[in-house]
Amino acid sequence: MNGQYASLLIALPLISAFFVPLIKGLGKKAVKYYLVLVTALQTGIAVWTFQQVYGTGQPIIVMAGAWRPPVGINLYIGHFAALFVLIVAVVSFLMAVFSVRAIEVEPIDKYVMLFLLLMLGATGMIATGDIFNLFVFMEITAISAYALTAYNKTGEAAEASLKYIVLGGIGSSFFLIGVALIYGALGTLNMAQIAQLASTIDPTVAQVGLALIIFGLAVEAELFPLNAWAPDAYQAAPHPITAMFSGFVVKAGLYAMARILYLMQASAGWSSILGLLITLGTLTVIVGELAALRQRDVKRMVAYSSIAQVGFIAVGFALGTQAGVNAAVFHMVNHAVVKVLMFLAIGHVAVVLGGSELERFKGLGKRMPLTAFAITIGAISIIGIPLFNVFWSKMQLVMASMAAGKTGVIALILAASVVEAVYYLRLIHTMWFAGEGEKASEGLVISLMLLVLVAIVVVIGIYPDYVWSLAQRAGSDIFNVADYIKNVPLMGVGA
Amino acid sequence: MLKRALAIITLLIIGYWLAQGLAGVPFGEDKMLVGQYYLDNVKEQTGAVNAVTAVVVNYRGFDTLGEVTVLFIASTGVGALLWKRKKERTAETQGSIVLTTGTRLLVPFVMLFGAYIFIHGHLTPGGGFPGGATIATAFLLLYMAFVQYEIPHKAFEKIEGAVGMAYVLVGLIGLAIGGYFLFDWIWQTWSFGTENIGRLISGGFIPIIYTIIGLKVGTELSGIIDNMVKEEVNE
Repeated sequence: MNGQYASLLIALPLISAFFVPLIKGLGKKAVKYYLVLVTALQTGIAVWTFQQVYGTGQPIIVMAGAWRPPVGINLYIGHFAALFVLIVAVVSFLMAVFSVRAIEVEPIDKYVMLFLLLMLGATGMIATGDIFNLFVFMEITAISAYALTAYNKTGEAAEASLKYIVLGGIGSSFFLIGVALIYGALGTLNMAQIAQLASTIDPTVAQVGLALIIFGLAVEAELFPLNAWAPDAYQAAPHPITAMFSGFVVKAGLYAMARILYLMQASAGWSSILGLLITLGTLTVIVGELAALRQRDVKRMVAYSSIAQVGFIAVGFALGTQAGVNAAVFHMVNHAVVKVLMFLAIGHVAVVLGGSELERFKGLGKRMPLTAFAITIGAISIIGIPLFNVFWSKMQLVMASMAAGKTGVIALILAASVVEAVYYLRLIHTMWFAGEGEKASEGLVISLMLLVLVAIVVVIGIYPDYVWSLAQRAGSDIFNVADYIKNVPLMGVGA
Repeated sequence: MLKRALAIITLLIIGYWLAQGLAGVPFGEDKMLVGQYYLDNVKEQTGAVNAVTAVVVNYRGFDTLGEVTVLFIASTGVGALLWKRKKERTAETQGSIVLTTGTRLLVPFVMLFGAYIFIHGHLTPGGGFPGGATIATAFLLLYMAFVQYEIPHKAFEKIEGAVGMAYVLVGLIGLAIGGYFLFDWIWQTWSFGTENIGRLISGGFIPIIYTIIGLKVGTELSGIIDNMVKEEVNE
């Protein structure tokens, strides 16, 4: 099949979202199952692209409208994009299945549309090869996220969404000014051409533009001074949406940040931007972990823990070496699996027991043994205990920082893991050794999904080599800009 | 006071920093790498006289599809957040007779002009977004002048979805005929209207897409107005 069919990754969720108003008369159930069907199809297409890219070793370049870049917009589905588009699709599919049970608040048809468009936005952000197009997809992701955060229509949700909208609006304006500066200086929006011309750009413009772009993306990527919206939004959003935020929306922001950063490698003053990012990442880890330590609500606690993990990823990208990028990508994959597992399990508990405060988790080991088991495995994995997946990515991060000579980062990772151990072990203790309770029904489908995710966590933990090799290839896709430029068939406009 | 002073100082620092960056951008110089290409080739390659619409719909049509989606999300989001089982208009004062009569006379003209803008997108300034917004203005006028007026929601919602699908379908037909998503099959495969540049029947798929966008934007903005002026009623 022709590689251009990868554009279906964008076209399918769009056309399906537009189709929802025409079938909403069929009822709530039908619309929910329609969502499951569409996300399953999307997963199928994503699997096909993944096979194509990893099979041939060549990226798929989708040229919209047959215009060759930089005149037209191209999608660049390389090793990184193929891997993460697959993760986005699979996470969306799981969450679509979870939504059948978890979402009862009306209007379901609007929920389904926004859900599909959130998936579309993240896919587009990861796949695009043009910085203005990146902005458009970022807005799609962000605006559907604002609406979904407030979807439950409680006062708390409205407040969280308002914070998110204000911060997100400021962030996207920064991003747009950054894009305008870079376009003004280089006269092109195509990422490959920007990378080609990066060495000619005025150093002040490059620094200001890049810093603005990083600040703009930091809102989506939940880096420290701009992540105040995240814990509130994670707590107030519908449970499946929380898992999607943590599973791929953050990742899309981080990836966009890393991609633009490494495109401009050749520009003067680049290393000072790395310094900015490493500071932001470190602060994110410290603030996230310390805040998680004193939460009474489990969903909020895991949200803070998720923010701290994002800090690790940012630090990995900021090391500026191939090893650092690989480790960050590996951590992104592992974090996506583990956090989807955690939020699915916690959301499930909240749906069955009616809330996610720590008190409700007392005696969970007796009430919902399978869910408690899944949460336990996820928690142990995040702390970074051997034989579980996150151990390997934390290990790679430590090794990469050692090679880059940043001993402070090693201390940060180890200290943060100790803090994580404190609050996750407290949760595990509460679940298994405190309180009594009767058995509650767990539901076959969700139990099955939890078991599959637990299996992935353990399998990656015992045989990390395959996923690590995927992460290495995806990482060199980001780091190795010369190959990126070579792969995009630029027509010689003006150069 | 201290807070305000600090804010002003921070803003000044940021402003100075941005000005430093702007000083490095060579404004007014010949930096049109891609821009020159558009200007040189727009007529032969897209059949549009209006270079902006050619760039927006044809060369960079992917962005426009995204923008249409952003608007769709905005309208869906407003719909989701203001959703109530039963909603009605609770406006109390009828517009004066001058307002109602004026509206009656004006609405057809506003609509006609909106349609004119989006149909002539490839020839004159404007296009789908301004055209659609003009049409929504006509509905806003109706809402403000008449206490009882309501748009036909069922039909509007269906149109909104159907034209959105039509946009993606035009793109998918391009994928089937030309091998690329959003490929301009009317111009590049059929060469339809090639002798007609500068007249209405030309411009490849630009007028079609702009009609779709115009209808979509018009229905969406009207839907947002409708959602916002209505309140919940208790049975």
